[in-house]
Amino acid sequence: MAMEKNYGNPSLEAKLKDRYYYSDDTNRDFTKEVEKIGRTIAHMCYQCGTCTGSCPSAPRSSYRIRLFMRRAVLGLEDEALTDPDLWLCTTCYSCTDRCPRDIAPTDVIMAMRNLAARRDIVPRNFLKTVQAIYTTGHGVPNNDVNRAARVKLGLEAEPPTTHGFPEYIEGIKAIIDHYGLKDRADKILSEGE
Amino acid sequence: MAEKKEARIGVFVCHCGTNIAGSIDVEAVKEYARTLPNVVHADDYQYVCSTPGQTMITDAIKEHDLTGTVVAACSPRLHEPTFRMATKVGGLNPFRFEMANIREQNSWVHMHDREGATEKAKDAVRIAVAKASLLEDLIPKSVPVEHAAMVVGGGVAGMQAALDLGNAGIKTYLIERSPTIGGRMSQLDKTFPTLDCSQCILTPKMVDVGRNENIELMTYTEVAEVEGYIGNFEITLRKKARGVLTPDEAEARGIVGGGCNGCGDCVEVCPVIKGNEFEFEMAPRKAIYIYHPQVVPNLYTVDFNTCIKCGLCVEACGEKKAIDLEMVDELIKVKVGTAILATGYDLFPIENKTEWGYKKYENVITGLEFERLICASGPTGGHLVRPSDGETPKKVAFVLCAGSRDNTGVGKPYCSRFCCMYSLKHAHQIIEKIPGAQPYLLYMDIRSFGKMYEEFYYRIQDEGAKFIRGRVANILEDPVTKNLHVFTEDTLLQRPIDLEVDMVVLASAVQPTTGADAVRKLFGVSCSQDGWMLEAHPKLNPCGTTTAGVFLAGVCQGPKDIPDTVAQAEGAASAASIPIHRGEVELEPYFAQCNEELCAGCGMCVNLCPYSALALVEKDGRKVMEVTEAKCKGCGTCGGFCPGGAIHMQHFTTPQIVAQIDAFLLGGEQ
Amino acid sequence: MHEYAFFLGCIAPNRYPGCEAASIKTSEKVGIKLLPLEGASCCPAPGAFGSIDLNIWYAMAARNVVLAEQMDRDIALICNGCYKSIYEVNHILKHNDELRDGVNEVLKEIDMEYKGSIDVWHLAELYYDPKICGVDKIRESVTRPLSDTKIAVHYGCHLMKPRKERHFGDTDHPMWIEELVAALGAEPVQYRNKMQCCGAGGGVRGFDLEHSLDITNEKMINLQEVGADALTEVCPFCQLQYDRGQIEIEEKFGIKYGLPVLHYNELLGLAQGMSPDELALDLHAVDVTPFLEKIL
Repeated sequence: MAMEKNYGNPSLEAKLKDRYYYSDDTNRDFTKEVEKIGRTIAHMCYQCGTCTGSCPSAPRSSYRIRLFMRRAVLGLEDEALTDPDLWLCTTCYSCTDRCPRDIAPTDVIMAMRNLAARRDIVPRNFLKTVQAIYTTGHGVPNNDVNRAARVKLGLEAEPPTTHGFPEYIEGIKAIIDHYGLKDRADKILSEGE
Repeated sequence: MAEKKEARIGVFVCHCGTNIAGSIDVEAVKEYARTLPNVVHADDYQYVCSTPGQTMITDAIKEHDLTGTVVAACSPRLHEPTFRMATKVGGLNPFRFEMANIREQNSWVHMHDREGATEKAKDAVRIAVAKASLLEDLIPKSVPVEHAAMVVGGGVAGMQAALDLGNAGIKTYLIERSPTIGGRMSQLDKTFPTLDCSQCILTPKMVDVGRNENIELMTYTEVAEVEGYIGNFEITLRKKARGVLTPDEAEARGIVGGGCNGCGDCVEVCPVIKGNEFEFEMAPRKAIYIYHPQVVPNLYTVDFNTCIKCGLCVEACGEKKAIDLEMVDELIKVKVGTAILATGYDLFPIENKTEWGYKKYENVITGLEFERLICASGPTGGHLVRPSDGETPKKVAFVLCAGSRDNTGVGKPYCSRFCCMYSLKHAHQIIEKIPGAQPYLLYMDIRSFGKMYEEFYYRIQDEGAKFIRGRVANILEDPVTKNLHVFTEDTLLQRPIDLEVDMVVLASAVQPTTGADAVRKLFGVSCSQDGWMLEAHPKLNPCGTTTAGVFLAGVCQGPKDIPDTVAQAEGAASAASIPIHRGEVELEPYFAQCNEELCAGCGMCVNLCPYSALALVEKDGRKVMEVTEAKCKGCGTCGGFCPGGAIHMQHFTTPQIVAQIDAFLLGGEQ
Repeated sequence: MHEYAFFLGCIAPNRYPGCEAASIKTSEKVGIKLLPLEGASCCPAPGAFGSIDLNIWYAMAARNVVLAEQMDRDIALICNGCYKSIYEVNHILKHNDELRDGVNEVLKEIDMEYKGSIDVWHLAELYYDPKICGVDKIRESVTRPLSDTKIAVHYGCHLMKPRKERHFGDTDHPMWIEELVAALGAEPVQYRNKMQCCGAGGGVRGFDLEHSLDITNEKMINLQEVGADALTEVCPFCQLQYDRGQIEIEEKFGIKYGLPVLHYNELLGLAQGMSPDELALDLHAVDVTPFLEKIL
């Protein structure tokens, strides 16, 4: 357990924060949960660095996929889920293609993002996509410029998707509501404003 | 045969420390055994295999006038011989012993179910007692052992094994499929950690092999067929058409003073040019060729796949008349008592790991190609150059674990065991040979476990090699300079790396040679999950196999460096010489026997027998089956099939097996 | 005619309708008929949706698959992001009973059931597949060869990776789309780090645009080095990242490239004689004219 300093001075306490890793920092259930959601054997990582070496985000940020793998192995839940770098993975799957332990680090990230989302940690743009799909069926909906262009091409102004057949949107709403995601998205977005 | 008397069985239950007692109630098993029919004595002990444990068996046999013994303990593969001996010392025929495996097949797999494991152990004991009650005296058969051995594979392992056998006075056939002995070691420049010149320490051995009067060296030869059993293997060899006669072969054809003397006049005139596989095709050879100047035997070979039979070489050879372009493969039969397999390794085809660009990028080479390029006798005279432009590389990246420790299915899950050390050696070699050279070793772990190996690591680091802890993610080639960009993470610095180098050396994983599988199957040797040949026991019998009389040496059993290879070769040679020096071996008496009165002479069994051990013979005016006991392995195929029930399988008789099944199904009720 | 249910996704119909129009017309000339998949939605976006809850992603994608199952047609699509959702979810649900049961529990609420009765294809792989179309047929369909043009290919990530869950083989040095490009009479050019991501995926484009564009910019530098006349891809989302991204790069980083970016179906349309107007190339953010001048 990390040592409480009780110096009564928040900036000093932050500076001198106990940096030891203690075995009780580990949450084994976190590792298991990540493996279940990600459908991959995260605990088998041997920290070779192939993933970070393959990563297009690593050279331009502090994001290190290998560190997230380490957190998965050790069950460092808070550290993993609250690190904003979690959202810098472009899901290119290069690390997954090359991982010699046959782990899918990309899916470990996806699992961790799912778990972060359960704590309402989600980038706003992700939630706005949810809202757009809920109302229109499309993450990137149609607009007037595009409608005009479509007609010029001889296409219907609305594509034969939920745009052209809005009666299908009810089904989409039912699926998203089944998980209560729209309400959560609305709530998180309104709180952030 | 002892006279028939009422079965009196003694049961001994082993605790094996906590191995068995930890998950089985040994006391309950013993008490249960006492209730079984024919059991007149039951006991338990901490370690039945110990001397006091064995004494317990011998004493009980005498004290209780036992007719059979049952030990409930580990696998018969471990201690059956021990308890048979104890049974024999106690005065019984050793085959009146039966083992119940309550460890490997029980306590170890049911660690968390004590009750279930105990019940299963009782079943196993009951079944064993049922069989033990019907066991008969059996007399093992002794067969003479051929005073000769065979070694398959002429690398350093095979050469060492052959030399040891030859020096021990045993006629030894050394079989090598390529035109020369020497194997992988002859392709190496230097050896770690001593930096001996590999050829310099190997060629004396090659010469010794060629000169040893007990060794019959057969290069360009493959094993075609294996028949027989320990002591009496009959092996058919395919002597491939070499197109060139040795002086002896020439003399046999009446060409006096002829045959190949290795002069090489033929090479000068041969018009066909091909890549020399010894140099990984980095140097040319002709259709008539030797791999390198130090080959043993010093004898040319015609590559009939590319030879156009123009006859110029025949002309150049002149009066020696050593070349015969019409030569064909020849089959030769030899008889040996034991055999050693030493078929070595190939590199894993590392181009399958597409991210590293081998065979796509010219300046990405393998460790073995590096050996040839840095070797004074190699294609560049020892000047390491970039294949793309012939320039001397300064910055060289060594990619460790290239395809080893890889669970993707493309690659090998195991550690190839010598790549760390040879990469350290490579780093040393470029520092030594190229002024201003900078080697980078990209590694996950440096495994320097051998004698003086860690010291060697220290030395190379001190010489200036840079170690980057990260497995290489991918390599990209600069299309103009043909330099290579090596990408990984320096996991200790926690930063991604784009390392531009002049050359990349992949320390490629190793795998069994092509053809190793075919050889091992001919000799009835299994392979482990990783594809290497399977030893009889990983710790206590690493040279033996489950086929009696067949032994393993070198990398064919699993990756190992030269010291370990030579040590295993000497071990295998020693093991292979034992039956030969004893002159006879005892065969387990599990033969099929024919009850001639019941045999109808139909002959169906003769065709079914996988070991050609059965034949139909005339007896008293009718045909009956006869077993060649030495060939019979007791597999039971014939006994199970015989429509007349005329075949009796010793030690696995029908009444014995039925009693076992009854004991299980009826729960001990008669 | 090989008939497929044409899954449109979002960006093609709603931002680059020329891709949609081109796909329908070009494929018909090589024996592939694309039928409208009525009521289809967003695939849904694997980055945004999958990151929040993979279970919803499975269910939403499965709904789109079921629409095609009801038509009894395999799906063809023209976007790698859609491929990730539709192909992969179909693949996962076919082989994972637990997830499939979970998805069907939700779909039951809207009277649907995922059966696993169809397959999902990218139109580009159908073009390449000699059993369906093949490179030769593409070549034969060309009436206006794209001669004297150098075209670089961006494969995109979600079509071919992860390699083990796909069937395209080598993901480090693939050449099959280059073969399709060469069939149009153009010269495919290789550039450094061809297989690197465009930078848009995983929600990063929305989460951190500068980070995302910095990846795109690295690709642009590598593309500029080899003097490509155009970049082609098989993914409208990658197209958006390269096309609009170049404008954003100019705005944010002050660097201008002006490299025309065209979906393979747009290129194929041009090679089959379609006019720029028929492809709505004016909707592209980066002016395509320099490329058109070379071929028209």
